[in-house]
Amino acid sequence: MTSLIAFLIGFPILVGAVLLLVTRASLRNPIVLVSSVAVAAASVATVVTFGNGDGVFFGLPGGIVPGQALIAVEIAMTAFIVVIGLMNRRIAAPIMAVAQLAIALFLEVTGRMPDADPQRLFWFDRLSMVMVLVIGLIGTLICVNAIGYMHDYHRSNPMIKGRRNVFFSLLFIFLAGMFGLVTCNYLPMMLVFWEITTLCSFLLIGYTRTPETIGYAFKALNMNLLGGLGFGLAIALLADQHLGLDLARLTASPASGTLLAAVALLAFAGITKSAQMPFSSWLIGAMYAPSPTSALLHSSTMVKAGVFLLLRLSPAMSGSTVGYLVTFVGLGTFLFVSLVAVTEQNTKKVLAYSTIGSLGLIGACAGIGTPELAWVGVMIIIFHALAKGLLFLVVGTIENRLYTKDIENFDTLLSRLPKVSVLALTGIAGMFIAPFGIVVAKWAAIRAFLQVPGGQGAAMIVIMAFGSSLTIFYWGKLLIKVLSMRSVGEYERSIERRVSRYEWLTEGALAFGVIAVTACIGIISDRVVGPYALSAFPTAGSHTFLNIEPAMLVVMLVAVLFLPLLAVWASTRKYDASDFYSSGRNANASHVMGAALGGSKSVTLRNYYLDGVVNGALMFRVGTLACGGILVAMIAVGMVVR
Amino acid sequence: MSPAVYGVLFVFLAPVFGGLLAGVDRRVSARMQGRIGPPLLQPFYDFGKLIQKQARQVNPVVEPLLLGHVFFMAVTGALLLSGTDLIFIAFVFALAALFLVLAAGSVNSPYSFAGAERELIVLLASEPFFILMMAGICKVTGASTYAGVLASPQLVAVQLPGVLLAFLLVATIKLRKSPFDISTSHHPHQELVSGLTTDMSGRMLAYVELAHWYESALLCAFMVLLFNWSVPLGLVVFAIAYALEVLVDNSTSRAKWQLVLRSTWAATLIFSGGNVLALFLLSR
Amino acid sequence: MSFFSKSPWILHYDGSSCNGCDIEVLACLTPLYDVERFGVLNTGNPKHADILLVTGSVNERNIEIVENLYRQMPDPKVVVAVGACACSGGIFARAYNIQGGIDKVIPVDVYVPGCAARPESIIDGVVQGIAALEAKRKKTA
Repeated sequence: MTSLIAFLIGFPILVGAVLLLVTRASLRNPIVLVSSVAVAAASVATVVTFGNGDGVFFGLPGGIVPGQALIAVEIAMTAFIVVIGLMNRRIAAPIMAVAQLAIALFLEVTGRMPDADPQRLFWFDRLSMVMVLVIGLIGTLICVNAIGYMHDYHRSNPMIKGRRNVFFSLLFIFLAGMFGLVTCNYLPMMLVFWEITTLCSFLLIGYTRTPETIGYAFKALNMNLLGGLGFGLAIALLADQHLGLDLARLTASPASGTLLAAVALLAFAGITKSAQMPFSSWLIGAMYAPSPTSALLHSSTMVKAGVFLLLRLSPAMSGSTVGYLVTFVGLGTFLFVSLVAVTEQNTKKVLAYSTIGSLGLIGACAGIGTPELAWVGVMIIIFHALAKGLLFLVVGTIENRLYTKDIENFDTLLSRLPKVSVLALTGIAGMFIAPFGIVVAKWAAIRAFLQVPGGQGAAMIVIMAFGSSLTIFYWGKLLIKVLSMRSVGEYERSIERRVSRYEWLTEGALAFGVIAVTACIGIISDRVVGPYALSAFPTAGSHTFLNIEPAMLVVMLVAVLFLPLLAVWASTRKYDASDFYSSGRNANASHVMGAALGGSKSVTLRNYYLDGVVNGALMFRVGTLACGGILVAMIAVGMVVR
Repeated sequence: MSPAVYGVLFVFLAPVFGGLLAGVDRRVSARMQGRIGPPLLQPFYDFGKLIQKQARQVNPVVEPLLLGHVFFMAVTGALLLSGTDLIFIAFVFALAALFLVLAAGSVNSPYSFAGAERELIVLLASEPFFILMMAGICKVTGASTYAGVLASPQLVAVQLPGVLLAFLLVATIKLRKSPFDISTSHHPHQELVSGLTTDMSGRMLAYVELAHWYESALLCAFMVLLFNWSVPLGLVVFAIAYALEVLVDNSTSRAKWQLVLRSTWAATLIFSGGNVLALFLLSR
Repeated sequence: MSFFSKSPWILHYDGSSCNGCDIEVLACLTPLYDVERFGVLNTGNPKHADILLVTGSVNERNIEIVENLYRQMPDPKVVVAVGACACSGGIFARAYNIQGGIDKVIPVDVYVPGCAARPESIIDGVVQGIAALEAKRKKTA
């Protein structure tokens, strides 16, 4: 076990270092491919070795404790941030990094940092297992996809200086950071991995080095460093609590007093990392990075770290005001972000808002702290990682082929890129039609909110109702665009042939994953997620999880398979063809129709974006303020109400 | 009788109910306009004719999507009566409506596409209500299935008057009655020609009609759910409500989509949301 | 069993007319004549229609439109030309832009004369059109 985890963390770092030095694609691509396979295999091996039992704790070989090493790494990272911040004339990031280092050094120097238990440095349970699979399988698929994607990306963006060695190196270091994060039990060590992911995301977002992306990269850095500062403060609070800075001990039961204050600060860190409001703008800014970055950040790694921490904290927050406030931050995020998504025309931004909304839901589930909602949270993680990862990669492929990010230009996708449409439809279906996808998560959440007493339960259900309808609206718009058809010429039909085999392979694998996990949901629930939820809340009594009847399962499987299968079959169907109705005078193949007085007009079809009813920018600001207020209240309650 | 039998009965009897309801609708509308109107069985004659007509299609995906629409509408009703979780039903109902949107939206023509978009707006407007209604019903009765609610001693409509009020508003949308018939309507000639159904002919139009009949039957089932202590009372209230809908349909002109969205959401939030809030606060 | 005689749906198209016949067609829908009794619906959409009711004559501009509408109507379909202009061009037959009656463009099944045609004649014409519809259906069935 120890050696496998060490491999999972150490090997990608090694690969990252090597890739930094390799500048030739012909050498780099095989290294990326082989390393990805190795990491994926190691993830599977780890899971098999663990064997789906209860949580295990272990340390490093030889019982070494990483105290000094952690400080060294922290100093290095802080130095890097200070240098790069000053080089770009940003002051906030260096200040926060130094502050965080100061806290750590203070604790270390004054001897208040307790010794880590050498046998409890790492904690591996079913949740870690799920996360390791997500990172190891989906993360590596994204790395492989990037091989094909970056080749096209740089060809279509010749102004951007290619630093692909840095790009791929960062992807692997990122994976290492995530592996470390989800298996750590010792909080200071977890913080180091946390900050590694912060740094990697900063460097990846700023990859293209345009002034715009540098701005977004620093925004991400600032917000995540703020969260890290909260994390550091939590550690400081916990230093004299005789818990040994042990995450498992902290979260074993509902917390109170100083422990609850620390939990509130850790929840704060989780909220910033998972881009919930008021910290959503960094994730939106990350959309300007190349697609594999977005896919990696948004679906399978970075943001999942945030909600992973929130789920870990869930038993500790259970039933407390802090917990309820975390829930409202999550639900508020879900609602406002869905409102904004409805007005958004850029496809990747719609996907980003959808991600933030889903993360808000997971956070909401974590805040309430019951086994049922923990079950829901983990389910959303699984489905979201697969479906959203697939969608980001597919959108990246479409962008590279059609040179557009605008939803309005995605129309007639089924005609122009038929095979890609199948993948897109699988992804969208997985996101919001699938059983146990977001739909069942919403169902389970509402069921659970019914049990929450008082006005809070009602408020939660009302927010869910409106938010959920908004998601149908924007997914529906995208679906219409993908499914629309027209006649296409020879040239247009040839475009799809230029999609690289890396993209087909990885996106196809993810699509298969979506369907496979959907079909196996019963097994996954009974054997993995259910037992996890029960073991995380030992005091909660007996529970039956959602009773999913076979009839429902059949119906939902039909629903999720319907659209992709239709896309596959559509082109061979025979039917009585006809022009569409256009008052008797139709548009020709280039969408130009004869107009009055002998003139001509071109026909454009445009989605509704609810102008005049919903003001996207206003909603974003209102959500930021509202959730910011709730967040402040959460920390205040945690700190003051001892 | 086992619940599954009710589900199967729904699949076969709901279209008959829906068709007759549509016939009564046209007859009553005609009388309100001073005319005599078509025979009661006219909707069935229309359906028969449409089946016999050639089905011209604009692209290959419209017909399968419409079949999906009918399938999921029927399934929603079948699942509802055979004891599936009520909140889940609200989501399946939305899914069924979505298939109609997709079928119309795939056509890439101005009228059909605009109709599809308007139908999406209408779905957006009405969906929060159904989720809140089901959540409210589950909270009042503590039951989560149709039979469970009917067997409960709690009187749903008495404890959820706001929900009942909002239901009447939202039903106007689902029954495609003025002023909320923005995406397609049974009246000939609207600013979008036939809206959603502009490019559907022959049996595909028949599918849309069939799905609409299922939908009407579903709404009746929801009304009965609200008057859970007496099924006959529920049916009578539905009849009265439907008569009111026809009256409103004949007396009002079509609203703009902004008004539809705003008014439905306001009604849902204030009446249903307020009702559910009161319910939670009072049930300590 | 054929339902066409019970549910004939109409598409009303106005070519180059003075609108007199159109008003009479609309009058058929009013309570005085109420053709909905016979299941007749005035749809605005060729894809939903069985009977193309044309008033007014054909000119240079609307040739393609009439063809387009007729082509979009699914089978079986009939055309009823209402009024003198639709039958032969009427008093405008020699005007510079008028090509003549509707039968210059599409095959007409029933001619309803009059200027303007009376609602009773129009209804009679539609009834004959329904009979033609049934005959066509039997031929293709």
